[in-house]
Amino acid sequence: MTTTEPTQAPAQRVINGRASRIDPKDYPDWFKAKRRGGSLIVHPLVPAVMVGLPILVIVAIVIYPTIWMFYHAFHDTNMMSLFSGDWAAVGFDNFGLVLSSDRFLSSIERLGIYLLFGACLQVLLGTALALLLYEGIRNNLARTIILILLVLPMMLPPSIVGVLWKFLLQANNGAINHLLINIGVMEATARIEWLDSGLSLWSLVLADTWQWTALPLLIVYSGRVSLPPAVYEAARVDGASSWRVLSRITLPMLREIIAIAFIIRFMDAYKFVDKVYVMTSGGPAESSELPVFVAFQKGIREFQIGEAAAYAILIFLFAAILVTLFLQYLKRVLRAQQTQ
Amino acid sequence: MANLELIDICKGFAEPVIDRLSLTVEKGEFFVVVGPSGIGKTTLLRCVAGLESLDAGRVVIDGKDLTRVPPYQRKVAMTFESYALYPHLTVFDNIASPLKARGLPKAEIAQRVGEVARLLRIDQLLGRRPHEVSGGQKQRTALGRTLVAKPDVFLLDEPISHLDAKIRHELRRQFHELEELRQVATIYVTHDYAEALSLGDRVGVMGPGGLQQIGPPREVFDRPGTLFVARHLGQPSINAFDGVLEENGGGLQVRSETGFALPVAQAHAGRLRDRNEREITVGIRPQFIDVVDAGVAADGRFLFDARVDLHEALGANGVLIAKADGQSLSVITSTSAAFEPDEPVRLAVDPNRFHYFSADLGHNVLL
Repeated sequence: MTTTEPTQAPAQRVINGRASRIDPKDYPDWFKAKRRGGSLIVHPLVPAVMVGLPILVIVAIVIYPTIWMFYHAFHDTNMMSLFSGDWAAVGFDNFGLVLSSDRFLSSIERLGIYLLFGACLQVLLGTALALLLYEGIRNNLARTIILILLVLPMMLPPSIVGVLWKFLLQANNGAINHLLINIGVMEATARIEWLDSGLSLWSLVLADTWQWTALPLLIVYSGRVSLPPAVYEAARVDGASSWRVLSRITLPMLREIIAIAFIIRFMDAYKFVDKVYVMTSGGPAESSELPVFVAFQKGIREFQIGEAAAYAILIFLFAAILVTLFLQYLKRVLRAQQTQ
Repeated sequence: MANLELIDICKGFAEPVIDRLSLTVEKGEFFVVVGPSGIGKTTLLRCVAGLESLDAGRVVIDGKDLTRVPPYQRKVAMTFESYALYPHLTVFDNIASPLKARGLPKAEIAQRVGEVARLLRIDQLLGRRPHEVSGGQKQRTALGRTLVAKPDVFLLDEPISHLDAKIRHELRRQFHELEELRQVATIYVTHDYAEALSLGDRVGVMGPGGLQQIGPPREVFDRPGTLFVARHLGQPSINAFDGVLEENGGGLQVRSETGFALPVAQAHAGRLRDRNEREITVGIRPQFIDVVDAGVAADGRFLFDARVDLHEALGANGVLIAKADGQSLSVITSTSAAFEPDEPVRLAVDPNRFHYFSADLGHNVLL
């Protein structure tokens, strides 16, 4: 009878009440403290410092400015009073000012157009392209190459895309007008003023769609790839038509994926400032201003701190409501599919 | 009339999976394909369903050549190993999906789904979604989806293999009793030999390349055509070892590489002598080896001594692994028996129960 060496059980230590696999002896010196009994423990200040520092940073760059913003939204702060410090409480006057200003209301209207024809259309277009790519192209290499080409615009910085499209859309000598003339859609002397008041918002939507359609495309494509193939084979045996498969199987099963694509694009939509700034600067004559851009103008250009803060809060509320609605929907869908 | 005919079908991916397989399944017949995992059983079903295109050969249903016909025009219904239920649809809508795809009127759909659901005893669950029902109920939903379509051919891919033993037993009985399955040709695929032997009117054992043997369950089990078939049917697996045939005082005996020798039955000796080949593989089913008391009379059997390697008590019976002259053998024992490792045991076999397979190709040389 041979006896085997008793194998050492993996050390499971309890340090500060939690299981740990690290030997306290291996701690750096500043990390260590001795308990009265003589056992080594983590110095009580270590966790406090490690958690405290990031909290301090977040307080400094997020929480303090937010509180500051809420405070000034209810005061008549502007450049003068900001430096003298004698701002006065004005209650909801700033909000009244914002909500009654045409500039804000029409910027909200434009945001609506942008959400509908920009963000929504991008998701729908991205979904359509993703499914077309997956169902229509059977060759894996071709599929990958097309996917990469479609995703390329997304990899450029948005401001650069803005500059690019500003050049492309120039009324004189712009590539787009040239193209339209060359293919005979337009007379040689005609000019489309893409960045003029009637079209400037639509030009922004165009440039943005060019860049961001790939995001919902990627999301939906990966969602489609992970759907179980057996379900599709069952549908083939059942004799379901392609349209039926799309409307009764694919789209319902991709519901939550598409909802996520919507949420991401909608959240981005509120931050849509970069291309506006580069391509039109909100112009001409404020005709392509979106709410965040107006808030930015109010606060940074005109230094109406109080009013800009009110803008920011209203935009925040608007965004919060929309995203909450989406999340509610998502939660409902996910709950219906739990424990699968 | 023959309902399903497969004529010389071939299908391969990187390498051939099915090689010139021919099979006829009669109307009303329950045909079970059994074989180890990854051997191509599912591929066979997919070829019949039309989900895979054939490399060669023909699929004929009710006299009509359907080789080039898409799945939904074949009047074939298939259940999938993963059930392939639509997760976002209720049990009702899942069962109704083939009827809806055909555009039947709502009232008729409701009536037919109701009938099938009552038959399968899932009529209480019609409003639930697949994730809200148990594995057995999911299986019945998948089965309901195929039954409701009233197809000519049923293809069932491991329909009950992933369920726990109790539900499996219940569903097995249900397969026996389902009148609907008796109206059409059914191919049922499983890796479980017990399921195959219990359910099949006929059983086909699938090996590399295709069906190695087709026949009634009893016959496939008792007279395996090849070593592969013998090995795949039965748990524990048949004892098989290579040996050489030798003359031994007027009789024939087979001696294994380790030196373990067994006599050949008179009835078999002639056939084996005629073959003029010394090398042979012997197969002995574990249930035909008995543990006997030391002084017991031979009574036509061959008695030999062995030593216990291992004994597993499994409730209804036990499995004893014993070694005789270096040759390891599995033996099915009665419940009450208990063995210690290294304990000597006396074993008895009836040489008439032996199977002999050619050492090179594995054919049963007695058939």
